[in-house]
Amino acid sequence: MKVVLYLHLHQPWRLARFRYVDLGSGRPYIDEHRNLEIFRGIATRCYRPALGRLADALDAEPDFRFSLSVTGTWLEQAAMAAPDVLRTLHRIVRTGRVALLSETYYHSLAFLLPPPELLDEVELHRAALQREFGARPKVLRMTELAYSDELARFAEGERFQGMLVEGWEGILRGHPPTHVYCAAPAPTVMLLARHYMLSDDVGFRFSSKQWNEYPLTAEKYVRWIAATPGELVNLFMDFETFGEHHPASSGILEFLSALPRTVRETPGLSWATVEEAVELPPRESLSAPTTVSWADQNRDLGAWLGNDLQRSAFEAAKKVGVLARTAGNPEILETWRKLLTSDHFYYMYVGGHGADAGVHQYFSSYGSPYDAYANYMNALMDLRRRAVERISDERSMGTAGRNRTR
Amino acid sequence: MIGWEWPPSHSGGLGVHVFELCTELAKMGHTVTFLSPFPGPYTPVEGVTFRCPADEPIEPYPGAYAIGGSAGRWQEGDIERFNAWVAGFPIGHHDVIHVHDWFGTVGASALAHRSGRPLVMTVHSTEYDRSLGHPWAEILARERSGLQAADRVIAVSEHLKRQLVERYGVRPEKVRVIYNAVRPSERLSILSSRRKIVLYLGRLAAMKGVDTFLRAAARVVSTAPDTLFVVAGEGPEFGRLLILAAHLGVSDRVLFLGKVTEEERVTLLASASVFVLPSVVEPFGIAAAEAMAAGIPAIVSKTSGIAEITDSVFTVDFWDIDEFASRISELLEYPALRRAMGAAGRRSVMREGWEERALQTVGVYFELVKDGRR
Repeated sequence: MKVVLYLHLHQPWRLARFRYVDLGSGRPYIDEHRNLEIFRGIATRCYRPALGRLADALDAEPDFRFSLSVTGTWLEQAAMAAPDVLRTLHRIVRTGRVALLSETYYHSLAFLLPPPELLDEVELHRAALQREFGARPKVLRMTELAYSDELARFAEGERFQGMLVEGWEGILRGHPPTHVYCAAPAPTVMLLARHYMLSDDVGFRFSSKQWNEYPLTAEKYVRWIAATPGELVNLFMDFETFGEHHPASSGILEFLSALPRTVRETPGLSWATVEEAVELPPRESLSAPTTVSWADQNRDLGAWLGNDLQRSAFEAAKKVGVLARTAGNPEILETWRKLLTSDHFYYMYVGGHGADAGVHQYFSSYGSPYDAYANYMNALMDLRRRAVERISDERSMGTAGRNRTR
Repeated sequence: MIGWEWPPSHSGGLGVHVFELCTELAKMGHTVTFLSPFPGPYTPVEGVTFRCPADEPIEPYPGAYAIGGSAGRWQEGDIERFNAWVAGFPIGHHDVIHVHDWFGTVGASALAHRSGRPLVMTVHSTEYDRSLGHPWAEILARERSGLQAADRVIAVSEHLKRQLVERYGVRPEKVRVIYNAVRPSERLSILSSRRKIVLYLGRLAAMKGVDTFLRAAARVVSTAPDTLFVVAGEGPEFGRLLILAAHLGVSDRVLFLGKVTEEERVTLLASASVFVLPSVVEPFGIAAAEAMAAGIPAIVSKTSGIAEITDSVFTVDFWDIDEFASRISELLEYPALRRAMGAAGRRSVMREGWEERALQTVGVYFELVKDGRR
């Protein structure tokens, strides 16, 4: 039985309050200082201690291996806010026992836009990983683990050997998540299905005193893994699980430290990266006509596009995208891509009650979804204005040029 | 129940609250005797009896506390005479004495003391707030005496409760928060109007911050010149606000309607795109709740009590004109936002109605009657 641990590193560029009266003022949409401050806080509580422990475990346990995805926006912020964290990451990747994954640079909803946006953003991310780590990933993960047949075909076209998917009934249709599958429309693309029960035991339930398995020890957890039938267990979770979602006082960091050794000491278990896992023969081919994600209870796109606010903002962003591309200005295009980061839409979720609403509120930097929407739209409308100005400038300059030659 | 204003002649939240509370209490089978300084007319409610000093009813009071638009004036000694009448009121089967705001507190305390009945005092706003920090000493003294004598104090928001504790030294244990509510109503179908309407509906008193509404209007019309700002209501600030509108160059974009009838109010709520309540001080903000019940998204100042019961409202610092202007523009420019906030706001203010508020009030009565104080 292979144990596949995959951790996701991402921070968005959160928007500053950009008021309607700020349209045309030239004020920045992103409050860099505040984002870096947030990053530094998380680095202290989570990135530094957890990466440190992973680095130690790689040193102490020669068989320990795992996988990481790192968004472009995380890399940008890490370089500015906590370069030592980035250095630790380099050291970890240099061991050769940590596989990196491809995704969109901006952790964006580009997969819902007409081509070539998705490809462009995956290429941007590839280039960043190449530059930063000299790595060329073989496995693709889409924003929030989104997956569909269409995305499988995209992965095949880009010669990815595998994709990560949520181990959800909508995809697995009765099959266990503990085997490797391949995509029905793209059989060269292997699918690794997240074992959401075991993953969420750590990701969500670890520090919950109401949980009847509390407290969770590495020994108990690894016993559960060993007792699971199948060929592999995919433990996929946010990196912030370790020290941020669960504070250090919960014992989560000690848990993380103890895992590599406990797995080694358990007969029949061994570590594998996602790149090693996709070498296993697929058991079945699976199809996913609609998009499945790892977010919320419904595992669909509802977390970002479930309500009218989110859909209206996304439709507006789509339209501005056409202008941003036409404007031919790299800064405008980059800003637009930062606005496509899925987190902005996540903040516009209107829940009201239930577990999901609590999770959304926890991650939100706004007082309400209405705040989030209004602020986003203001920034987007300002960007549209700038793109339109740019385009009309070009046109008038073009005309002037032609006039001169005549 | 000792109050003062009662529909149809009411100017603020107190009149609405007392009327709705008594109506619900009567529906539950309680009988209410309402003592007021005024001779009426009173909108009748079955189960509620009205009493006022028979020989010398008091003519309504003007200025900052205008009642029903009357230009009458308190006469020297009116308040004392009313309170003396309350103090001597023949108590019958009544279990609880309940007084609202400052006007009748002295009489109510004496009546409670004489009859051995528990005293409840509901505070709708404080003199500090109404006077924007320049309280009239006599009113302050009457508030204090009521707050001291009351066995339980009901505040219409947590914000107001904090103020009672901090400014008036009321023991927090004896304060209960019971919010205002709105009557269940149909969602109004929006009347089509060529120009988008931004509405203020309320008294034109200093604490309401209507200045901010006009200053924000001046900013909004610079980018959306087709917007019409409507100020509905009357009050002592009327003249000053007219001049301010002229000074800001928005006289042609702001419509001052004066006092509106119930029918006009409904029409306004059906026509408006955005409701603004920019009060410097707003213990609750029934006007905003009513607009939200009609499905209109609202912008209120941060201290408004209503912000304690709903997230589906924009809150702004009362002095932040740019932010008010931004919020107004956002709601005017983004229809998806207007619809979503309108619908969610309506749901949130309709969640608990006057029946729940009356039940909560009866809960306070029972704390006292069961305490063995009778």
